[in-house]
Amino acid sequence: MDCHLDIFFLEAVLNGLLLAGLLALLALGLNLVFGVIDVVWICYAELVMVGMYGIHYAHKGGAPFLLAALLGILLVALAGALLHVLVIRPVLDSAPINQLLVTGGVLFFLQAAATMAFGIEFRNIGIRLGSVNLMDMSFAWSRLLTFAVALGGMLALWLFLTRTYMGTAIRAIAQDRQIMPLMGVDQRKVYLVTSAIGGGLAGLAAALMVLQYDIYPQIGLQFGPLIFMICVLGGLGNMIGGFVAAFIIAQFIAVGGSCFATEWGYAIAFLFFMVAIFIRPQGLFAAKS
Amino acid sequence: MRHHLGRAALSAFAVALSAAAAQADVKIGVIYDYTGAFAGGGSKAAAIGTKNAIDMINEKGGVEGHKIIPTYADAQSKTDVAINEAERLLNDTKVDLLMGVFSSAHCVPMAAKVDAAKKFMWANVCVASAVFKDKNLQYVFRPQVHSDQFGEASCKFVAENAKSKLGKEIKDVKVAIIHEDGPYGAGVAMGNEATCKELGLQIVHKEGYAATSTDLSSLVTKLRRAQADVILHTGYNPDITLFLRQSKEAGLKWAALIGHGAGYGQIDKLIETFKDDVNYVYNVDPVAAQLLDPKSLKPGLGEITAEMVKRYKAETGGQEVPPHVSMGFNQAWIFLTDVLPRAIKKHGGFDPEALKKAALETDIPEGGTIQGYGVKFFPPGHKMAGQNERSSPVVMQYVNGETKVAWPASIKTIDAVLPLPKGHAYAR
Repeated sequence: MDCHLDIFFLEAVLNGLLLAGLLALLALGLNLVFGVIDVVWICYAELVMVGMYGIHYAHKGGAPFLLAALLGILLVALAGALLHVLVIRPVLDSAPINQLLVTGGVLFFLQAAATMAFGIEFRNIGIRLGSVNLMDMSFAWSRLLTFAVALGGMLALWLFLTRTYMGTAIRAIAQDRQIMPLMGVDQRKVYLVTSAIGGGLAGLAAALMVLQYDIYPQIGLQFGPLIFMICVLGGLGNMIGGFVAAFIIAQFIAVGGSCFATEWGYAIAFLFFMVAIFIRPQGLFAAKS
Repeated sequence: MRHHLGRAALSAFAVALSAAAAQADVKIGVIYDYTGAFAGGGSKAAAIGTKNAIDMINEKGGVEGHKIIPTYADAQSKTDVAINEAERLLNDTKVDLLMGVFSSAHCVPMAAKVDAAKKFMWANVCVASAVFKDKNLQYVFRPQVHSDQFGEASCKFVAENAKSKLGKEIKDVKVAIIHEDGPYGAGVAMGNEATCKELGLQIVHKEGYAATSTDLSSLVTKLRRAQADVILHTGYNPDITLFLRQSKEAGLKWAALIGHGAGYGQIDKLIETFKDDVNYVYNVDPVAAQLLDPKSLKPGLGEITAEMVKRYKAETGGQEVPPHVSMGFNQAWIFLTDVLPRAIKKHGGFDPEALKKAALETDIPEGGTIQGYGVKFFPPGHKMAGQNERSSPVVMQYVNGETKVAWPASIKTIDAVLPLPKGHAYAR
């Protein structure tokens, strides 16, 4: 153990906070979809990958970054809606394992299709936002931006769900999928809109990730397991739970990695997850069912 | 009469059969990562090199009249897939031998499995010393450099330049060793640690991480705290780019960054992403053949290198030919022009026993291959049995998009730029 309570330790803590922003944003869309439709999109991180490629090629094609990012978000929102119509809707009444397997199939399909379409090269959008220095610490603007957008996204989603008619319908369906259609809520439309929003959130994450990571067909494998761990830890479908879980896991990774080896940070995070799930199988923030 | 005719026909058929058997094709299973993270990290480039070597041999009529029939298999950057493909090629496709393999993570278990089955394997690119160390493999051979040598080369280079370039005594030079935690990274790092310690360099930090890490900021923070002069890094992609990006954002500075193959061998990709920031980065690797003076090699090898380069550029459209192309090509060329002809002529064919005997008789002096090193394998019973004892890596430096040889002094093409010049993104 090599834990010095110095400025570098503080930097590690703050870096953990910034990493949490990205992880929270990634977990947000997945939790929304599960909370409302009750289906886990195993291929969620691959949708992010699709968005990253979309933004890369739009930017390379001459679109300014903000426009490229917007196009990427729309692309993944559309992909989310298509995923629901073509893949999820036909298996909505099937056993959960079938739903899981079918989105797993989409995961492999998207990875293989991306390899065939875009090749094996690591691509990069080539935008550097630089960093900001504070005392003896240094933080990347791209990570600060991600953190701010994650908070903003969470707030915007909360406002949408609580202040709009569609948002209220989404919450109503999430509370009772059987009764609400009998009371006039158009379940098909709500599911479709939810899937598009879930996809849009994946697109938003993609727009921020292209500023921090290379793009390649298997990038989903880098993030997928972590996102699911966060969602399960927070309580699948619980958006606030997912948000808090992202901060917990990110701190384990950052501070654990700072005090021990980087690998230990991940190991401690997963150990905590296992212990937490033994104690609260429904997740830290979900009500007992 | 009919009886005689029948016997004559049978005899003719037997002769035809034996002639066909004598000219049987040599079936080679070639395994590389054509997809997945390793593909863009050098595996595809090596695969192209191997394919071009086989094509060139076949264009000349094959080996001793035998055509080479390759079956290319994609390990998909996954060890389990690599092992399954090896088994499929050996047991279903019935290849005569296996060749290729980029990742040490695939190589270590595959070599042990192939050897246990008494089949023949010729490793082209993977470097982990662990493939052979204390395993006493009998049917697996590797002309390629091994990871202990990678680790030695960078430390020797730093030690030799400590006083003259860094203005420090060797004992005052601070070195940090960071690596992906697979057999490749761990193997090189072990070599780094042993040699740097032996030479008296100060190791201020050593740490492994998963190549698929989503965040290396805590590692970067620790390196900032350690204030190393030289960072010795062994990684694949995307961890190398993540490390470089997060280091720049966090303001990590160094006098020299020395990579060890894999992602660091793909300079065109690094330049595409980091532009001038990767100027003056070092890479330890077997030398890219086109960087050597053909006059220092056996006559005729210069032309072969030129053809290899021409074909690679034509196939990929790229201008930079990474060292992995030479590794994939050279090892295949050594096998097809030295080992296989001897196995056929002297040992009666190309079954594993004949190939093993021929491989053990290999004795190519320095300058006898396109990458400069000679080939002689450690014999059975040696702790590195099957590994080439004459292989050697070089330290290259990327200067304004060009690759120069900075070490060893005998073949260097540049006086190393060390420390980084002022104004460089990572310069102190």
